[in-house]
Amino acid sequence: MNLAEGVQTISFALLALMMIGAALGVVLLDNIVYSAFLLGGVFISISGLYLLLNADFVSAAQILIYVGAVNVLILFAIMLVNKREDFSPVPRRWIRKGGAALVSVGLFALLGTMVVQTPWVIPANLPATTSTLIILGEHFFSDYLLPFELASVLLLMALVGAVVLARREYVLDDEASVGEMPQLPLQLPERPKEPVALSGTSAPSR
Amino acid sequence: MNSGIDLQQSVIEILSNLGLPPGVAKLVWLPLPMVLMLVTAVLGVFTGVWLERKISAAAQQRIGPEYIGPLGILAPAADGLKLLFKEDITPGNADAVLFTIGPALVVIPVFLSYLVVPFGQNMLISDLSIGVFLWIALSSIAPIGLLMSGYASNNKYSLLGGLRAAAQSISYEIPLALAVLAVVMMSNSLSTIDIVNQQSGYGILGWNVWRQPVGLLLFWIAALAECERLPFDLPEAEEEIVAGYQTEYSGMKFALFYIGSYVNLVLSALFVAILYFGGWGFPVPLEQVASLLGVSETNAVFQVVMAAIGIVTTLLKAYFFIFLAILLRWTVPRVRIDQLLDLGWKFLLPVGLANLLLTAGLKLTFPFAFGG
Amino acid sequence: MLKFLNKIGDYAKETLQSARYIGQGLSVTFDHMQRRPITVQYPYEKLIPSERFRGRIHFEFDKCISCEVCVRVCPINLPVVDWEFNKELKKKQLRHYSIDFGVCIFCANCVEYCPTNCLSVTEEYELSTYDRHELNFDNVAMGRLPYKVTDDPMVTPIREFAYLPAGTLSGHDLPASAQRAGDRPEDVAKTLKTSSPEQSED
Repeated sequence: MNLAEGVQTISFALLALMMIGAALGVVLLDNIVYSAFLLGGVFISISGLYLLLNADFVSAAQILIYVGAVNVLILFAIMLVNKREDFSPVPRRWIRKGGAALVSVGLFALLGTMVVQTPWVIPANLPATTSTLIILGEHFFSDYLLPFELASVLLLMALVGAVVLARREYVLDDEASVGEMPQLPLQLPERPKEPVALSGTSAPSR
Repeated sequence: MNSGIDLQQSVIEILSNLGLPPGVAKLVWLPLPMVLMLVTAVLGVFTGVWLERKISAAAQQRIGPEYIGPLGILAPAADGLKLLFKEDITPGNADAVLFTIGPALVVIPVFLSYLVVPFGQNMLISDLSIGVFLWIALSSIAPIGLLMSGYASNNKYSLLGGLRAAAQSISYEIPLALAVLAVVMMSNSLSTIDIVNQQSGYGILGWNVWRQPVGLLLFWIAALAECERLPFDLPEAEEEIVAGYQTEYSGMKFALFYIGSYVNLVLSALFVAILYFGGWGFPVPLEQVASLLGVSETNAVFQVVMAAIGIVTTLLKAYFFIFLAILLRWTVPRVRIDQLLDLGWKFLLPVGLANLLLTAGLKLTFPFAFGG
Repeated sequence: MLKFLNKIGDYAKETLQSARYIGQGLSVTFDHMQRRPITVQYPYEKLIPSERFRGRIHFEFDKCISCEVCVRVCPINLPVVDWEFNKELKKKQLRHYSIDFGVCIFCANCVEYCPTNCLSVTEEYELSTYDRHELNFDNVAMGRLPYKVTDDPMVTPIREFAYLPAGTLSGHDLPASAQRAGDRPEDVAKTLKTSSPEQSED
């Protein structure tokens, strides 16, 4: 075993330990903020594993998307809500626990059989890939074109949904003036926004 | 294209000639560039802090640090020493673990990004094929650290600052990435070396500024926002939220934030130089001049001189942008949080997309000029 | 659609305008960088206080007649005059006099109203102490004369703005012969004499 292999083995062991430990922490810790931060740890360890598999672009994308965006948004949501609540005993809790256990075991079995059935033999003369990026791009625009485009449509839908949720326009009747806006409980009255394309160039005089 | 001097090979050769086995020689070499880069980064911070003080002083018709070393050049060192000896306070109800990890999480990715900063053909730690993308990915870790320290301080101002910082980082990451993407589209590679090489050959005329003026502006605005420099320093806005996520920090932990912000500034300036100003390329194409004068490219002296010129040029370009950032600090007032997010999402993002589209179109129409 | 395009055009114009403004601001900031620092490097350089500077108050013990006018004209009745009636001389005899310069607002009303001119303002302004009670000057402390800035060999005296020659904005590196702008008091007095010849010369 030369230096590179030794480093690889040790890094793999460290990353795997880190990942499993962090994942257990995510599930078992009571404090939801800790869980969220540990989730970031899990994502980073996964990206390290990608790096060991020579998938450098995927690993960087993993950090960018999962750590930089998903995890930050989760943390954001937690910190903005910040509602401290004690766990109240739920009646028939064992049913939920059993269901969760069933789903988890099923998933584990599925993945386990996949791991067992996959031939993990590495061909001896593996061509040295210079840039994984180009190969990824080729795959995206040839055999994975449909999933790629579907994913982009899905993201667009999410984007539009987010915009609709965030804009929150009140549709007012013509006779209703600005002063008597429907006041929903626990909500700030919002000024109606006019769509960009409809409004004239000159601002309405107030 | 000549490859310039290969430091790795020469150092290993020297060590082997001293009688070390090649494996050990390589092991000795391995940490050297990293240590060198760390030292460079820290020295860059010192210079940055000193420049910040001197230029701020000049912009306000003051003198600035004067008696700490010649021209006050040791002022940053004095700062560091002071912070080193300060008591390290953890607030009573703070979350001690997260409170300690937070600053480290902010600083480490910034230093890691120096992996891909080139000062010459072979003068970088590693020429990764994902180059700039690594920088963008790593800089997206920082918000987690900011949120962590903001939350762990158990202070409303800190939490608000952390949330602001995270919101700012994730919204300005996108225009930044779009601006980088347009450059990458022209060089057909994410590697910083390839990006610089694509700009070399014609001296100042070949630089990306002329092909990506909008991209440069976008990049610079977004980079300033990412560094939390003054027009966008809402996370630390003194008048509103004391010092944001840094409120409760003191001593070395605060120093980490301080160093982190300046390392980030230097890094952003270096990336502007690399992406838009031809990296280590001199404004006059020196290789052509040398071949006109009849100097061989394999000449050892020529290569050393070229390497030195390359490093100096890169640093000069970077420090010009640091200078600009400091001037901007005393020119532009701080924006409000809604103005900040408006600028990011409603102005920079569409402009970035349009710029990307334009670049793609130009690349298809003029493949010779825009990297076919 | 046209409206929308118009809006985009307006927006672009506004953007360009704001960019121009930022550019103008930058040029102003840059211009400031080439100007000389206006700061005075305090412990090494000091401004020469002006003729009418109202600094720490000087007190001459022997002139004081303990009339307490200073106390009455002081906005906060600050001076403490400790006297006792000397029956042999049939005069008030001053024992102690003190002013707390931590509370004084340096209005110099006391100086203005003192009938015997035993109070006067000095040009001393360096009144920092480690304890605020040290600022409570008694008659001995108030009897000391301040050290003049121009006499101090450790200090470079800098002239104030009003005492600079016409057109000069900085008091640094001025030749000693450089006169301040405008007429000097002697010249003013001369012109007064020539313009009003009926005033007799003694």
